[in-house]
Amino acid sequence: MTDDETRWHVYDVTMREGAPPLKARLAELLGVSEADAVASLQRLAAGRMLVLQPGADEILMAGPFSAVPTPFRVTLEAFSCYGNCIWDALGIAATLQADAGIDTSCADCGVATRIGVHSGAVVGDDRGNGFMHFALPPRMWWQDIVFT
Amino acid sequence: MLFFRSEEHIERWCGTWRLDKGAVIPLAQGWELARAWYTEDRREPSWRRRTLEETEAVFAQLGFTTEFWNLR
Repeated sequence: MTDDETRWHVYDVTMREGAPPLKARLAELLGVSEADAVASLQRLAAGRMLVLQPGADEILMAGPFSAVPTPFRVTLEAFSCYGNCIWDALGIAATLQADAGIDTSCADCGVATRIGVHSGAVVGDDRGNGFMHFALPPRMWWQDIVFT
Repeated sequence: MLFFRSEEHIERWCGTWRLDKGAVIPLAQGWELARAWYTEDRREPSWRRRTLEETEAVFAQLGFTTEFWNLR
């Protein structure tokens, strides 16, 4: 088993189902022990290809997908899933090359909104009116990727 | 990266959390960033993280040329 194979299975499951596999399922897919699967995940995380859950050996982020619910729910024809942030929510539609609806809310006032991606363009009530805010410059993103 | 309805809301949020205002990108431009960033299939064996120079090129292509986007 190589780390490339691990990454392939992680993203194959994620892109077909909307969330990355747990380590037990990943080990089964790879035909290796859970310890070996975890070691591979840890190497991928060290290479900043994945983010693991703090204090656990499960995947937290397989960018742009989140393994846990977030305020950025993405609904596609095949499934619903979660982006790690508004950029990643849009990134899910981009990487799957699919139409999508993103349910989120203004981080300040809490008003809910749905952002649509249709035929390769952003559409919907907030078209042209909504904004993304990058609190940290990109050279600092990986100092705390969860906050980023 | 969070979503806001307006720049005024971003400024209020930054004040609430005592954070400096960062970079503000209209949603349509954020979509272009997402498309530029996430075009490659990460299952591909050839996939790897972008180098610093490749990341700079993506930012430059989108007009992100202020100090905020400086990676060095």
